[in-house]
Amino acid sequence: MRPPLPLLLQALRAPGAMARFSEREWDLLLRQALAANLAPTLGLLAEEHGVLAALPARVVRRFAWARTVWERHLLAVDFELGQLRRALGETGLPLILLKGTAYAAAGLPASAGRLFSDIDLLVPKDCLPEVESLLLLHGWAGTHHDEYDQRYYREWMHELPPMQHMRRASVVDVHHAILPETAAMRPDPARLRAAARPIPGRDGFYTLAPCDMVLHSAVHLFSEGEYHHGLRDLFDLHRLLVDFGADPGFWAALPARARELELARPLSYALRYCTRLLGTPVPAAVLEAAAGGAPNPALLALMDALFLRALQPPHPSCADAFDSAARAVLYIRGNWLRMPPLLLSRHLFHKAFLSPKAEPAQ
Amino acid sequence: MLTVAGLGPAALAARLRGPGLRLQTGPFVTCVHSPLAGLAGTLGAMYADYPVLAEGSVADFHVRLSRSTGLRRFVRPQVHFHYDGMAPFQPLPLDQAFPMFEWAMNWCVSSQANSWLLIHAAVVEKGGVAAILPAPPGSGKSTLCAALVNRGWRLLSDELTMVRLGDGNIDPLPRPVSLKNASIGIIRDYAPAAAFTRPVADTVKGTVAHMRASSDSVARAAEAAAPAWIVFPQWQAGAAATLVPVPQARAHMRVAENAFNYSLLGEAGFDAVARLVETARTFDFRYSVLDDAIAVFEQLLAQRA
Amino acid sequence: MRSPPIWRLVPGQRLVHRCHDGECVLFNDLTGDTHLLDESALALLEALRQAPQSAADLAGLDGLPDSDPTLLAELDDLLADLAALSLVDAAAGGQPC
Repeated sequence: MRPPLPLLLQALRAPGAMARFSEREWDLLLRQALAANLAPTLGLLAEEHGVLAALPARVVRRFAWARTVWERHLLAVDFELGQLRRALGETGLPLILLKGTAYAAAGLPASAGRLFSDIDLLVPKDCLPEVESLLLLHGWAGTHHDEYDQRYYREWMHELPPMQHMRRASVVDVHHAILPETAAMRPDPARLRAAARPIPGRDGFYTLAPCDMVLHSAVHLFSEGEYHHGLRDLFDLHRLLVDFGADPGFWAALPARARELELARPLSYALRYCTRLLGTPVPAAVLEAAAGGAPNPALLALMDALFLRALQPPHPSCADAFDSAARAVLYIRGNWLRMPPLLLSRHLFHKAFLSPKAEPAQ
Repeated sequence: MLTVAGLGPAALAARLRGPGLRLQTGPFVTCVHSPLAGLAGTLGAMYADYPVLAEGSVADFHVRLSRSTGLRRFVRPQVHFHYDGMAPFQPLPLDQAFPMFEWAMNWCVSSQANSWLLIHAAVVEKGGVAAILPAPPGSGKSTLCAALVNRGWRLLSDELTMVRLGDGNIDPLPRPVSLKNASIGIIRDYAPAAAFTRPVADTVKGTVAHMRASSDSVARAAEAAAPAWIVFPQWQAGAAATLVPVPQARAHMRVAENAFNYSLLGEAGFDAVARLVETARTFDFRYSVLDDAIAVFEQLLAQRA
Repeated sequence: MRSPPIWRLVPGQRLVHRCHDGECVLFNDLTGDTHLLDESALALLEALRQAPQSAADLAGLDGLPDSDPTLLAELDDLLADLAALSLVDAAAGGQPC
């Protein structure tokens, strides 16, 4: 780790400190925030901590632009959820929302400034055909029609290929588990669904239980292939932990639930990197209990080197020569965790050489 | 106040290559990084009058225009636009560096500056009031705008009309006026004293050149104007200069269709356009002869007195 | 035998609009879309804001014979279009597509 901490990490750890940054620091901090997809969040944090008015006028204006985008996003999410309810209501299924969608729908602190591109839904595996046909009926169309991609999603991953609405272009990802069946860790989706909680004021919609939301976020971050959103995802975890951590019962339950769901290792990483990078207040007893899920010291040192780099702001000011190497290793590692080695090399080979069209650059 | 001209070519190039040139255009500060000597020269000419800010001040946008690396440096060299690690456009041939810079500057504002309703339109001012000229490509908007600003109208912008959400007034963003193909020759004849870049051929829009914004328009970049007319221009060979009123509800839809961030702004966008079409008179406008077109605008202005 | 649908304004719809010379622009604050409508379509939406009604009820508002089949068919079409724009929905009876 290079001292001092990048400005963005300083701001996230202690938002009140934003009032003391110089113009020069703000110029850099804005760029880091934009690169990390955290500009709307940073603006809302400044407001929440009563320092927005103290910031340079140009910064305040920039945050206002970002806030407009976020507010429009919330309007769109509200509408999409309503449309999903109309489409899927007749199944009688609890509509369990995941990740950013869940935070927004439940109005959690983790939703402040948080943008996301897809609606994420969790349903029982048996119900996938019915859900898929109802979505098709209501205007969502399948994507990734390449036969290989279809198999990738349906057989090997844990979701339907993303479904995109023909008129609105919004996308729904329908999951039946939070990790693929091919992965080493097998958190039982039935347990996750059984513990799901209704969202007050949003009839028919649910989130995972607080411990499970944290564990899902941890497993998503630490076994995904790509880390462009790494810091943002880590900050999600931080905000979830601070929010739920107000309830002592949450801390008591968390390590045990992690073991029950075979997610002890991602939890140990989550708590380790949240405390080290973001100063998340985690009770010592919980850290100790979670440390049991950590890998051996040599592997942990390697993971530190990889993750501490990958979780820094994705901006040239925070990069060093090892960064792209670190990210490349994590990309392969990410896929390795999700697919056994033989399938993985077939997948990467196929993606690189055989898929009919490349994704357009964002 | 330091301007680009005040810096001088050596310091200008040094800033562009090093810490970045912090250039003020309208209400925005853009930090420009580029090692390209040709671009430095064109910026020096086209942006001579524009304020330059100190290193370490907050910039709204950071843009970098650079050459390809590796072998591509030598074989059909290209210019790349980077916006803080992102590459929003495909690279272009190196001689299109200045047009690319202008498109990049437009992109920065039109994709992000959400404290205004941003309309894809030219806007000019005279007598304290503004005429907005929205138009899809091919309507002759830029030619008409270039003509107007050479006949006593102040340039507020040739591409991006910025309508304040608070009070509905227009904030200027005077920058070089882009002209294409035949318009280049037409405006050169119409305004022999105006300064132009060397035309660049084979861009996606054909041959492109830029006309420098007048010193007066740059000096008055902080002077807002109230919108009085919305004129949808359509050049048509042989047409007499004619204004046809557009019904208000339809004007609303057409302005909204030409706005970059109308949907993003939600109800605030709806209200901004509604106010605009209520306070400004809206017309379709056909013309062929520039002098006739100018006369019509003068008439509109006289009718207000 | 199916009873005719009772139409209502989608709950929460505020009908933000401006009218001029018989034409209106309407901002759908639930979807974020903007629509160009005839004044009479807006009047119909306002009527539904007052109370959910069937097409026949809406026809009756104008003092026209509420059993005129052509008028009712046109109203049904208009209501279906408005439903597709997420401005109205059917509260009971038949289902709009």
